[in-house]
Amino acid sequence: MTSSACPCCSGLPFETCCGPILAGAPAATAEALMRSRYTAFVRHDLDHVERTHAPEIREDFNRAEAERVAEECDWQRLDVLRATEEGDEGTVEFLIHFRRDGQDMRHHERASFRRIDGQWLYSAGEVNPKGEPRRVVKVGRNEPCPCGSGKKFKACCGR
Amino acid sequence: MEPRFACTACGKCCHGLLPLTLTDAVAHAVRFPLALVWTVVRSNAKSYDLATRLGTSVRLPNRKTVAVLIQPSAYLPNHFPCPALQPDNLCGIHSDKPSRCRTMPFYPYREEKDQADLLVPRKGWECDVSAEAPVVYRNHAILDRTNFDRERAELLEQAPVMRTYADYVLKYMPWIVNDLAKMAAAPAGGKLVTSLSSFLTATRRTDARELAAAQAPLMQAMAERTRTDPALADLHKNYAGWAKEMERLAQRP
Ligand code: SF4
Ligand code: SF4
Ligand SMILES: [Zn+2]
Ligand SMILES: [Zn+2]
Repeated sequence: MTSSACPCCSGLPFETCCGPILAGAPAATAEALMRSRYTAFVRHDLDHVERTHAPEIREDFNRAEAERVAEECDWQRLDVLRATEEGDEGTVEFLIHFRRDGQDMRHHERASFRRIDGQWLYSAGEVNPKGEPRRVVKVGRNEPCPCGSGKKFKACCGR
Repeated sequence: MEPRFACTACGKCCHGLLPLTLTDAVAHAVRFPLALVWTVVRSNAKSYDLATRLGTSVRLPNRKTVAVLIQPSAYLPNHFPCPALQPDNLCGIHSDKPSRCRTMPFYPYREEKDQADLLVPRKGWECDVSAEAPVVYRNHAILDRTNFDRERAELLEQAPVMRTYADYVLKYMPWIVNDLAKMAAAPAGGKLVTSLSSFLTATRRTDARELAAAQAPLMQAMAERTRTDPALADLHKNYAGWAKEMERLAQRP
């Protein structure tokens, strides 16, 4: 069987790149863990994402939403922009290119990782808001006024 | 002239988005498709101080601080009737209806002294404001304040929960600050909608699974009803996505 390229864009075959990590082997570096988490999204393997969260953020993980996002996005590419490690602390800055609702999007994040008992875990992320999916809707003339008055916009601040 | 007001039960106001107290949202989770609706209240608004107590304060990237209300809401397109509205225009759950509906036309997100203009019916509404209708507001005070006080008390009581949620969102969806800044800057403001699933995750509700099980079929039905109208494409996307989230949450062990 010929091996296929790993979805994380490392250029390595999946079997020697993210494959073993998804199967439970510890990631050698914070970057390798980061790559495997991206690959897990591509392969809809959210178990891997969930189990590689540091304890302090485990409860904050919205698995239902992550599963939906994994499914609805067409994951195109991962660029690791920078990866640094110092002892048991690691930082990986990355860019994810994906398509959602027919639109090209980018997710830019600086993620922090921590090694606990030999396992790299994702502990925090700082998102660069540029290119994020926006969810603001314009207020229609008949919608409640954003000032909080409870009146319709056209009868209040939109007058 | 003293403002008079009586509801003729025309049902006209029972359409579109309905802000609920958290208690009402939970109690009516089998009936209303729920979402969290964020509104920015600028510091020059009359209701600003109150809004900071009912909601949260957010510092924007331009260093201005605004108050943000996060209202659990029945998330319906503007012209959609409330699911509890009957064909005869009466409320199907009258004795059990949400605080928001009981307090109408008053609005406890505003100071009590600042309610007079809410008594003027909006276009198309058939509220009775004639001399036959009872006086309901005098010298900037609500005469029968039972419902107003109850809704206000529920809002104050839930405020810490909404703040917990705001903190969660600002931490894990930090781009929302930019959306809030946009809303604060735009003359027309705006509203931002977040999902019940993020709220359930953030607040670690033990009844999350039950709530999700109640919501899943509602979201599914709303996705169907909004499927073909291009004007409702954004809402449709939300309903369809949240239906999946609710199904997954409901199935969690
Ligand atoms: S619950 Fe009853 S009063 Fe409230 S919006 Fe629905 S139909 Fe109207
Ligand atoms: S629009 Fe006025 S009269 Fe009609 S149901 Fe609402 S409050 Fe009552
Ligand atoms: Zn890989
Ligand atoms: Zn207004």
